[in-house]
Amino acid sequence: MTRYVMVVDESRCIGCQSCTVACRTWNDLPLDIIYNPVVSEGTKGTFPNVYRTWTPTQCMHCANPECVPCCPTGASQQDDDGTVWVDYKKCMGCKVCVNACPYGMRDVSHMVKRFDQYVRKCTFCRDRRKMDPTAQPYCVQTCHQRARVFGDIDDPESEVSKLIGTHRTERLFTELGTDPQIYYIPEMGGGAR
Amino acid sequence: MGNEIDIHAPGVEMRKSLCYFCHANCGVLAYVKDGEVVKIEGDPNYSNQGGLCCRGNSALLHLHHPARINHALKRVGEKGEGKWKQIPYDQAIEEIAERLNKIKAESGAEAVATAGGTTRTDDWARRRFMNQFGSPNGFHNALLCWIPTFMAETCVAGWSPFETDLGQAKVVMLWGMNPGASSLGAMRGYTDLQKAGMKIIVVDPRYSETASKADLWLPLRPGSDSALALAMLHTIIFEGLVDYDFVSEWCNDFDELSDHMLQYTPEWAAPLTWLTPDQIRAGARMYAANKPGCIQWGCTWDQLGTASTTTSLTLALMRAVCGNLDVPGGDGMPGPALNFLTDEEMEANECLPEEQKAKQIGSDKFKLTSWPGYTLISNNAKRTWGKTLPAEWFCEAHGPSVFKAIITGDPYQIRALIVNATNPVNSYGDAKMTLEALKRVEFLVTVEYWMTPAALFSDYVLPAAGALERPTIVTHYGATDSFLGGKRAIQPLYDRHTDMTFWRKLGLACGQDPEMWPWETEEEAYYHILKPLGLPIECYDDFVDNFRMYYPPLHQNKFISNGGFWTPSGKVECNSSILRELGYPGMPTYMGCSENEVDDPEVAEKYPIVLTTGGGFMPYHHSEHFQMPTIRYLSPDPYYTINPELAEKLGIAEGDWCWIETRRGRIKMRANVAPEVDPRVVYVPRGWWFPERDGSSDLNNPFGCLESNTNVLTSVDVCDCDPMGGSWANRGLLCRVYKCTELDHNYKKADTKWSIPGSASEPGVSVMPSDQPMARPHVPFEYPEMEPAPEGYYRVWQSGNLYQEGTHFRLDDSGWLINPRTKGYHDAYTGWRYDPTSELLVDDENGKYYTMEREEVKFKGGIRCYPGDAAPYAVPEQLTWNTEEGCAMLGNLPYVYDPESGWLIDPETGAYHEAYYGWLYDAATGNLVDEATGARYTMEYAPIEAGAQEEGAQA
Amino acid sequence: MKHHYWEAPIVLYLFLGGLGGGIFFLSAVFDLIVMPGSGPLFFAPVFVALAALALGCFFLVFELGQPPVFWRVFTTKTAIIKWGAVLLSVAMIFGFVWWLSYLYLLGWDWAGGFGLGLAGLRPFLLAVAGIAGFGIMVYTGVMLSTLKAHAFWATPALPVLFTISALSTACAAVALSLGGAVDPSLAAFVFSEIIHGTIHTVDIVLVLAEIVVLLVMVLSFFGAGNVTAKAVATRWVRGKTAPLFWGGMVGGGLVLPFILYTAFAGTAASTVVAPVLVLCGGLLLRYLCVYSDERAPIPGEERFYSRLPKKDAAFLTAWKQGENRY
Repeated sequence: MTRYVMVVDESRCIGCQSCTVACRTWNDLPLDIIYNPVVSEGTKGTFPNVYRTWTPTQCMHCANPECVPCCPTGASQQDDDGTVWVDYKKCMGCKVCVNACPYGMRDVSHMVKRFDQYVRKCTFCRDRRKMDPTAQPYCVQTCHQRARVFGDIDDPESEVSKLIGTHRTERLFTELGTDPQIYYIPEMGGGAR
Repeated sequence: MGNEIDIHAPGVEMRKSLCYFCHANCGVLAYVKDGEVVKIEGDPNYSNQGGLCCRGNSALLHLHHPARINHALKRVGEKGEGKWKQIPYDQAIEEIAERLNKIKAESGAEAVATAGGTTRTDDWARRRFMNQFGSPNGFHNALLCWIPTFMAETCVAGWSPFETDLGQAKVVMLWGMNPGASSLGAMRGYTDLQKAGMKIIVVDPRYSETASKADLWLPLRPGSDSALALAMLHTIIFEGLVDYDFVSEWCNDFDELSDHMLQYTPEWAAPLTWLTPDQIRAGARMYAANKPGCIQWGCTWDQLGTASTTTSLTLALMRAVCGNLDVPGGDGMPGPALNFLTDEEMEANECLPEEQKAKQIGSDKFKLTSWPGYTLISNNAKRTWGKTLPAEWFCEAHGPSVFKAIITGDPYQIRALIVNATNPVNSYGDAKMTLEALKRVEFLVTVEYWMTPAALFSDYVLPAAGALERPTIVTHYGATDSFLGGKRAIQPLYDRHTDMTFWRKLGLACGQDPEMWPWETEEEAYYHILKPLGLPIECYDDFVDNFRMYYPPLHQNKFISNGGFWTPSGKVECNSSILRELGYPGMPTYMGCSENEVDDPEVAEKYPIVLTTGGGFMPYHHSEHFQMPTIRYLSPDPYYTINPELAEKLGIAEGDWCWIETRRGRIKMRANVAPEVDPRVVYVPRGWWFPERDGSSDLNNPFGCLESNTNVLTSVDVCDCDPMGGSWANRGLLCRVYKCTELDHNYKKADTKWSIPGSASEPGVSVMPSDQPMARPHVPFEYPEMEPAPEGYYRVWQSGNLYQEGTHFRLDDSGWLINPRTKGYHDAYTGWRYDPTSELLVDDENGKYYTMEREEVKFKGGIRCYPGDAAPYAVPEQLTWNTEEGCAMLGNLPYVYDPESGWLIDPETGAYHEAYYGWLYDAATGNLVDEATGARYTMEYAPIEAGAQEEGAQA
Repeated sequence: MKHHYWEAPIVLYLFLGGLGGGIFFLSAVFDLIVMPGSGPLFFAPVFVALAALALGCFFLVFELGQPPVFWRVFTTKTAIIKWGAVLLSVAMIFGFVWWLSYLYLLGWDWAGGFGLGLAGLRPFLLAVAGIAGFGIMVYTGVMLSTLKAHAFWATPALPVLFTISALSTACAAVALSLGGAVDPSLAAFVFSEIIHGTIHTVDIVLVLAEIVVLLVMVLSFFGAGNVTAKAVATRWVRGKTAPLFWGGMVGGGLVLPFILYTAFAGTAASTVVAPVLVLCGGLLLRYLCVYSDERAPIPGEERFYSRLPKKDAAFLTAWKQGENRY
């Protein structure tokens, strides 16, 4: 089986937002839709003893997603490889999945025609992988810092498996039981999550 | 859904292009279908490894942005009114040329100036135009970006050691440089190497993206870089961290330098830099003890105002005494491109008369980066490398002084300005004065992507082709020996033209010789540049497709193989002779930055906060990309950074709009309250303007270009500029900060008042630029007494060597001239090169050979001929000696006998024929062919049957 | 992290849905169990219920990103929302047919024929509509409470609260509309008085229950909720929302009607003002709850979104694609 996950190395991320813009342009997103914001609480501490952590976020492609079972039309769905995505041809824009996501990673655009709003979200660049199975999500390819690593966690030889095996990783909001599949390698000495 | 474009579909062509939104020039793959770019992505097989930043990723939006200028616009209303008429491009060029020629006839060519920004252009073409036109007044933001440093470093060691060999380095010092926001590809390299053990020292007053990853962070007072550098050099020298072997063998005047540095102790520097002496020592030790190590140049070095060149000179010496110059793991000195044409060779500098060079504005003051300093450095480079650095960038008018000359007519009136690839109000110092100059200049032409404030006041606005619409080459301002290239993805859209075609068309319209502009496209020009490499390419696109990049074989320790550094004395000059010749101290002598609390206590009383500006920040680049909604959405407002402690004292909360004020004026920005800077410092990002506004509605502040523009705060007064390089201060200025109140929230007309010298309280011109004092008086220099040079030669006082005028070849004691590039010997009378293999003289101009008696030598089919009765070599008996031609031949066959190989050579085709029957040697089969009968023979003259031959071929 | 993906139309939908469902439920209970034969009296309340549900559905569809394809809700899957849609449809269809059977009450002779024809089906129709109505009441709360991303919604107290509130508003609506359009005969008058009396009492109980459940829910979040829920509760109890909560919801929507019901029984204050207040309170409850959609933020998320442009930022509309300026 193939199970796609992403490992995000916070010690490499510098908060340049390239992935955010790259995603917006590759997917031709409306302005108010951001699939993968890179967030930070800002610099903490007392000058000059300070620290800062950047957290590149995106859809967690949860193993146990909140957003799939709540969908009344079946538009919100999950592939066998773990990719959670929305079939725009089935979506009617009820936004229940948007409200269901604990990570805030789905939304409809308010900058498109009023009655043509469907729910959009990160698809791990399903379109790219459809065209070329070896393709990486575009945010991964565009990251100069290689802070984002994408791959198959079921393949013990994959880079993600190795990273998860050799680093302490954290995941967001595991207490909700969503089993998110974005693994964070925390910034050394960085802020506690 | 938008993302369903299949880049693998048939009919989609992938073109290897380069990003053109900053100097990193990352590789971009453009997917083109039916002449339209449908998608782009980072090139995984280029140095960026598929990475692209915010800017690079928005290339397609840039290409099709509705606010792009697509046609030539002629002003039909008042200046700034925003009324335009679209006219054909060539008509605009004709009209502009006519006007420029008229101004030239009336006021001289120097009345025409041109402003550029950073490398977004092929600037050899700009210089080629200006040189032929006859004006020395071209300029860029070069003085804020590398050029003064390059010149100071070249004074020390003969070229700038800017190519860090990080792979083998143990430490890198990132000084005033934040690759985490300005060159992301480099940042990845630093991060990877750091994880592999390399140490990173970051010198930055702000907890920048890079500082956050540093092993040692030295948060100095902004602008105190010169003091820190001097104290670190002091520590290195007096703690014995110097590479003594290197110093004793390769450095001049080291003892003098040591004596001079005695005064600059870390204790002396501590109160100036706000660092402890221990921090300073720790930095010096970490750098010097981890050898080899690199110091990466940072823009800060050239943005300190008065202290700029002092800092870069100190750092250049720091590298040298630690033995990190041009060694593996150290700072490599590439030198000019020896194997392909340099930008300098494309500039046609010989077209500019000496009397015009002397008129270059600012060259009387800031000599290092204008014709006086450039001439010394360039001549030295020609003597030592055989080639030199480009005049464009490295030898320019002083931009702010040109703007002042537009307003004051001092030293003479500048009447026309061509603005190409810059938004001067946002990128040059003293924005209010610059804006005034743009309003006042008699004739203004702007070549632009966008309607900038400069374009708004222009008489003509011409559309520029951008990334994807032009091929791109990377040669680091024409100062390196490597070459990287990308193709254009598509031809320019609409009436957009690349800058080279603009200058070419303008040059031709101005009446310049068409033979001087033989290249119609960039591709042709680049191919011309690359041809000397001798690669198997037919055109420039071949180069990109098959090679993409050219690196000369890695050559470190060149100073050893060369027998010296490329300075006039052949050594690292700790007391630079070129600087002294120009009237500057040859060793780094402390000078405070333009405004500081120690030298200007009365200013500090009113403006107690230290301001630092000019840092690059994501997602913008200089004043660019504010039009890109995708990018702007993530960063819609200008934020300055203030320490929470100071913010609390001033009653400022996160997100509050605040005024930041210096003596020159004030701007407003929102507060980012974060402990990223010292409580005595605020950090203000540069570049902000608001292109979404209607520029014509407020001509005092068009497009809000003054409102949040840090350059309102900076000074370009002569006494605030670096006395050597002329750079003005972006760092370490004094300011005050206060919250915008309800009554004082809008940018007012009073805020836009300008003055020379810059002061918000005294509007207007109060002192003529030529009357303004320099920050450092010139030190008179007298040449030592020397034996006069013979006619046609000149003597270099530092080494006493004689050089030929014009060629700059050294006259050797043996009476031969030595070419520095090839190390070949040349005949002192004719200049012909001695060719050791043939033992003849060669005229490289036409390829003709001469004997040592300077008699021309004939060649036939590559075989040297000896006309006369006697053959100088043994001639086989079946051949006859042709006395007239001077070669051996077979019967009446036209072939020439080659005594080296024993074959006959066909001079027409170069084909080999054997010497008994004259049969042709067929290299494909190894047979001999009798061309008369078509019969074939083995090398042993045994006939081969036609069938057997075929069989043999099949076998 | 506050985002308000769902806005005013959903507030109205939840309120109107609960109201309509509640009226069907009450109508069924009275006509079929408590007081058989009181059917005609509920002609007007059922009309109100139908109108409320229809309007609610309109708002629901209006809030959709793609209203023209609202029917996709019935396509494939089993989800809470789908159950809601089915219940709504069932209640409306059956309720409407039941209502049609009484259309002759308006004095339209042509309606008498099929009224008689449907008469036998009336108990069945109303039973189905009543059960579906009960389902809708519960569903409006369950829908929110299953969205556990929002700490303030994800509590079992919410469906209880919404059900009680729905029933309470239904009582109020019935009290206001009972017997409308029916010629007052003596029997009808007696029936009407008894029903009014019963509903009066029931609503007093419901209002009391609602006060208890509401306070238990809000105050327990305020005291012991997780960070996000506690922040919302704090906002309700003594923050920005406190005036609306204490003054509007608790005071105007519950306590005041309770006082009017009990202390001013029999006056217009009890029969007209109090039910209106209850209805307003019910709407306010939905409003306060829907707009309490705070989600636990990813660290730094709030800072990120706070720096994005306001909706009226000039650059958002300055450049129109396809419109070349120069």
